This record gives sequence, C-alpha cells and structure tokens, in this order.
Amino acid sequence: MKLGVVLRARLRVGICLLAGMVLAGAMVAVTRAERNTERAKHLHFSSIVIDTHDDTTQRFLDGGFDLGARNALGSIDIPRMKEGGLGAIFFSIWIPSKITGPEAVRRGRAQIEAVLENVRKHSNDLALATTADGIREAHRQGKIAALIGIEGGHLIGSDLGVLRTYAALGARYMTLTHSGNAEWADSSTAKPEHNGLTEFGKDVVREMNRLGMIVDISHVSDKTFADVLEISKAPVFASHSDCRAICDTPRNMTDDMIRALTAKGGVIQINYHVGFLSQEFRNAEKAHPEWDKAIALEVQRRCRGKEGCQLIEGDRITREYVLRGDLPRVEWTKIIEHIDHAVKVAGIDHVGLGSDFDGANMPFGMEDATKLPQITNALLEKGYSEGDVKKILGENTLRLMAEVERVSRELNAAK
Amino acid sequence: MRQVRVSLFACLVAVGFLISQAATGDDIADRAKKLHFSSIVLDTHDDTTQRFFSKTFDIGKRNPDGHIDIPRMREGGMNAIFFSIWIDGRIMGAPAVQKALDQIDAVHENVNKYSKDFAFCRTAEEVRRAHAQGKIAALIGVEGGHMIGNDIRVLRMFGDLGVRYMTLTHFYNDEWADSSTAKPEHNGLTDFGKDIVREMNRQGIMVDISHVSDKTFYDALEVSKAPLMASHSSCRALCNHVRDMSDDMIKALAAKGGVIQINYEKSFIDQAYKDAQDKFSGGVVAMMDQLKKECGDNEECLNKKMTEMTDKATAEGKLPHVSWERIIDHIDHAVKLVGADHVGLGSDFDGANMPEGMDDCTHLPRITEALMRKGYSDDDIRKILGGNLLRVMEQTEKVSREMQAAR
Repeated sequence: MKLGVVLRARLRVGICLLAGMVLAGAMVAVTRAERNTERAKHLHFSSIVIDTHDDTTQRFLDGGFDLGARNALGSIDIPRMKEGGLGAIFFSIWIPSKITGPEAVRRGRAQIEAVLENVRKHSNDLALATTADGIREAHRQGKIAALIGIEGGHLIGSDLGVLRTYAALGARYMTLTHSGNAEWADSSTAKPEHNGLTEFGKDVVREMNRLGMIVDISHVSDKTFADVLEISKAPVFASHSDCRAICDTPRNMTDDMIRALTAKGGVIQINYHVGFLSQEFRNAEKAHPEWDKAIALEVQRRCRGKEGCQLIEGDRITREYVLRGDLPRVEWTKIIEHIDHAVKVAGIDHVGLGSDFDGANMPFGMEDATKLPQITNALLEKGYSEGDVKKILGENTLRLMAEVERVSRELNAAK
Repeated sequence: MRQVRVSLFACLVAVGFLISQAATGDDIADRAKKLHFSSIVLDTHDDTTQRFFSKTFDIGKRNPDGHIDIPRMREGGMNAIFFSIWIDGRIMGAPAVQKALDQIDAVHENVNKYSKDFAFCRTAEEVRRAHAQGKIAALIGVEGGHMIGNDIRVLRMFGDLGVRYMTLTHFYNDEWADSSTAKPEHNGLTDFGKDIVREMNRQGIMVDISHVSDKTFYDALEVSKAPLMASHSSCRALCNHVRDMSDDMIKALAAKGGVIQINYEKSFIDQAYKDAQDKFSGGVVAMMDQLKKECGDNEECLNKKMTEMTDKATAEGKLPHVSWERIIDHIDHAVKLVGADHVGLGSDFDGANMPEGMDDCTHLPRITEALMRKGYSDDDIRKILGGNLLRVMEQTEKVSREMQAAR
C-alpha cells in the first residue's frame, strides 16, 4: 500500500517533471522560433525585396481598383506591400498572345501608361525605377520601386521601334513569348513553328541588349532559350519560372537549363504558382481537364471581359476545388523547396523571386505580399546565411540589372 | 601693410583690365561673339525630325542643304533645340499616334547615336547641365494636338517619353481645338480641349499656342495654370498673318508670364512678301497642298521643294527679297510691347523659308550682335536667346509638381 502510495507519488512527480520538461522544451522551442522570427524580420525589412513578376496591372485597367487602399481580393496593394516588406515590384504588361499587330501595341502602351499614372498618383509611396541604382535610391527614400516588364514579344507588333518606345517609357524586361508563339519566337506551351528564334527574333534580342532591357526566358520553348543564350551579350533571366526537377512542366526549367543560365550570369526567379510548384497538383489538374474548363467558365461568368478580375477569380475558384478535396492542397513551403533546389543546382548567386501574384494560383500560406517575410524566415531556418538570403530576396536581380546596364552602355558606345 | 597689399592688388587688376580692353578693343562684334558663345541659345522649333527618315541625311555631318546639323549648330552656337514631331493635320486617330511615336523614337535614336554632342533633356535644369558639359540640349515638342488621337492617355505617354511642349493644333482643326488656318468648328477649345490643357499642366508639358485660332488662344490662356508659349510665331503688327500674334495677344500672353518665340519664316515676318506670296500661291496652306502632290508624304522633299519654289520665284522677281534683319524688327517690336522677359527664338528651321542672311543656324550670332548694336543689355540678350524660355519651363515644372502633389 505504502509502496503503492510511494509509487503513485513518484509517478505524479515523474509526470510533473515530464510535463515540466515538455513545457520547458516547448518554451525553448518557442523562444528559438521567436528569435528566428525577430532576426528574420530584421533581415527581411532591411533587405531590398524584389518581385520580378506581378500581374496587378490588369486590375488598373478593370477600373475600381485602388492600389493605395488595402484590398480584400488579390495579392498586391501598397499597404500589403509595405506590410510584407516588398521593396521593388515589376508590373507586368500582358495581353493574350492571340492579340497581335497594332491592337497589341495599342494595348501594351495603354497598360504601361496605366502603370506610370498609378506611380504618379501614389508618388509618396512609389518611385518609378529603370535601373539597379534607381531601385536602391527608392529604397533609401523609403519608397517602393515600381518597374515595368513586358510579358510577351507579341506586344511589340514585330516592330523594333515599338520595342524602343517601350524601353523609353521605362520597360526593363521583355518575356519573349507568352503562352502562344510570337511572330518570331516559339513558346513552351505552343506547337513549335520557328525552331526557336527567327532571324528577326535574334535582332530583337540584340536590340534589347543595346537598350538595356533584360531578356526574359520564362514562357519560351527550350530551343528559344538555347538560341537566346547564344545570342544575348548580357545575362538573361527567367522572371517567373520554377524547377522542372521538382515539377515537370514546360513552363519550368530543367537543371541543365538552370546551369546554362547560370554559366552566363543569369537568374531564375521562383514562381509561386501551385501548378508549377507541385507535381501532385499538376497531375491532378492533368487528370481532370474538365475542371480547368469549368473553372474557366466560372471565371467568365464572374468577370466577363475584365482581365484583372479573371486572374484573381481563377485563383479563388481553384481554391474552392482544393477546399472540396478535388485538387490537392499545396503549402507555401514548396516555394522554399524550389529555391533550395535551384540554389543547389545553380549556386546562391542565381536565384530570386518572381511570385506571379495577381496572375496565378497561390499556395496556402502565400496568399498575398504580406506573407513574404516567411520566405526569409524559412531560408534562415534552413541554415542560409543572412548574406545569402539577401541575394535571393533581391541582390541577385540587382546584380543582373547592373550587368545588363553595363552591356547596354558598351554596345551604345561601340556604335 | 595689409592695406597696401590690397591696394597694390587692386591696381594690378585695374591695369590688367585696361590692358585686356586695349588688346581686344571695345568692339561690339567681339563682345557679341563672346556673349553669344557663352549663352544658352535655345531654339523652340526645328522640323529637322522629318529628315531623320531620309537615307541621305546625317545630323552628325555637315549637310549641303537644310538648316540644322551638329557641325552647323556648333558653328552657330546653337546649344538647345526642340525637335518638332509633326505629321499632316488631316491624319488622325491611331495612325497619327503611331507616326508621332516613330518620330519620337527617331529623335531618341539620333540623340543616342550622337551622345557625345547631344544630351536629351526634360527640364530647364537638365538644359543648363547639358550646356555646362558643352553638349547640345535636345528636347521634343509635338506640333499638333491631332497626334494624341483624341486620347488623354496618349498625351501622358508623350510626356513620359520626354515631350515638353505640344502645339494645340497644326494647320487644321483637331478634334478639340480650332486652328488659325481653318474654318472654326469648336469655338476655340472644346471641354475636352480644356481637359487636355489641364492635363498638360499636370504633366509639365508646355502649352504651345502657335498655329491655334485667336479664340483657342484666349481659351487656353484662361484655362492654363502655367504660362503659355508660342513656339514659333511672329508679330501681326509688322506682318498681318493669322499665324502671328496681335499686340493684344502678346500682351495677354506676357501678362501670364508667357513667351513669344519669333519665327523666321519670310511670309510671317515681311508684309510685302506675304502679300506677294498670297497672290503667287494662294498662301502657305495652299502652297503646301500643291507641293504635296509632288512629294506625297515625304516631308523632307516638301521642305526642299518649298525652298526651291520660293527661291526661284524670288529670283524671277515674283516674290520680294526679305532680309534676316526683319527677325530683329519682330524681336524689337515684341520687346517694346511687353519687355525683354517675354520674347525668344523659334526659327522654324528645316520647316520654313528662311530670310536672306539667315540661311542656316550658323548665322545665329548675327541676332546677338544686332541686338547689342540696338543697345540691348547683355542680360536682356541672354533672356531672349534662351533664358526666358527656360523660365517658362521652370514655371511649368513647378505647376506640374504642385498639381501632382495636390491630388
């Protein structure tokens, strides 16, 4: 009996001790996590965080969208960029690739003007940047650097003069194609018709080098990519692509492509779109093409012709499928997997961020720009040094831009 | 001791000054030359842009024809130029926009090609900096509101591309403003036209009232928050042409801080020539239409033929001779009317018939010398050569900043 009492008493003490230890352990864990968070926060908010691909421009054209106010929908606005420490954003100029010629040019110009007008309207928070130094200067002034990227060579209407006008208006990269082939370059998601770049396509790349525009190889076919690497005198980048080794889609890059890009000083900017991050998601999508059609129909019903709305509703409806259990749930940590894979393949100097916010389906936990500090936190937890994290957040992109500018100056001087 | 040293120094300076005066002589020609070549000499209207599309023209080389190229600008001390973007006023809508953008691109490309000589400028400050670096400031003006394709966003894009003035019309009315050389159809500026003027103020694009009807001028004057400029117009009191400004208009322009940039075109500065030309060819618009039949859309050809035609007519005695000194008469008239703060130079080189003795930009130092001989002060001459226009630019920039901040 006594023994029983003693035993029970010991057991109680033991439970107590165990509980205490668990509690202490948990507390240590919490403190460590919090310390990491503080360190991550400090690092994140003192770094220049650059996102090279945001489709927010489409929302400017829909009307009714205020970049300066916190919006319930979508991923990007000034309050949320500030909260997430996003310091530089490339507004994407995009129209569907089936629109070509003068109409494409007219719409491309209107979108650029919409970006510039929004920068003017919000000049207390935004500053137009066209160079790496411009981004650093905006950062020093506590402003978000606004930049312009053209998503698709079809937007120049096969006219180098139009390309130059875009550059003069401040555009600093052009993706050579979108989902369809351009008149002079093959896309990764269309039937090849030019065997990569045509002769004119090569001239476009040369002129981009001279103008100091980054050649963006996201969206292009593998052959176009290879042609670009051969022609371009400046390093090139993928503004929003992931690793094919993890998720096998033509929109992503193979390890060999990443290595070739790297050898020329380029950068792969990791895309957060679930269909490019997760093989499981992609397989599920492919297994049910009817869902894709159903989603497209629902998007049309909700948005009619408004493209900004379409991109955002597409993301929302896809989430409804995930919540019903039809499509797999993809966590934001997949982004970290892709970053880490690319770093292992390419080295720390060749990886950056190209979210595809407001234009793709975001993973859980990366719904909008406010969630960006998690990336910094996760990379630190993985053991990345602070210097390495800074590179991924923006310094690699800045280095690439400075190099593209240098090549442009040289080509202009050599004339 | 210290005082002695100071007075000794003062003596030396005085002696040195006297010697230098004795060596150079108090010669107006020399003083004028020095003044001219140390000033910012800014021309607000040059149609040279059209020549960029010609295969034979190279702005970097001395050309046997036309009025403008880098070597001749250097020789004439012309160090700030507004390249004019111009297409026929009857071309409208999307094609007008595209053609204008092509011309803006051509200016950018030529400036870039000759970046050792040219600096592209968007502000008065940049013009001053270019001058300090020994470069020619290159600026852009759009000659005709028809080129925005009736779309205020295109106007903004022009501003973003570096356009720093827009003439509200050319020879024909556009969708929202009446021209001085067409039948009125809008009673000046339409409501949209007034919005255009306000948006130009907001974008820091100078409102140019050359070419517009008198009613459009007064409407623009009322609406604009920034001073206006006439990029290339002369005085109606000396030559009664609708393209010129009446004394009342010049006074109203000056009262709001604006500037009239004197045009050198013979039919705008000389009454006898204008009257004879009206008889000879039915006026400038009719003459251009006649020549268009020969040249089509080739504007370089148009300018060349126009010069050939009028030179021949002058040689045959059908048109009178006009001396470059008429330019001085117009400057002096405007200065007497509104003071030296409101007059400048807008040659119309490469787009008009130059008077004798002003055959190209190498002759510009004559203007400085003539004004000096008339007794103009160095300060006043500098203002006319470019200072006044820079002041209007600065004022326009200030209004733009205020309007953008006040949103």
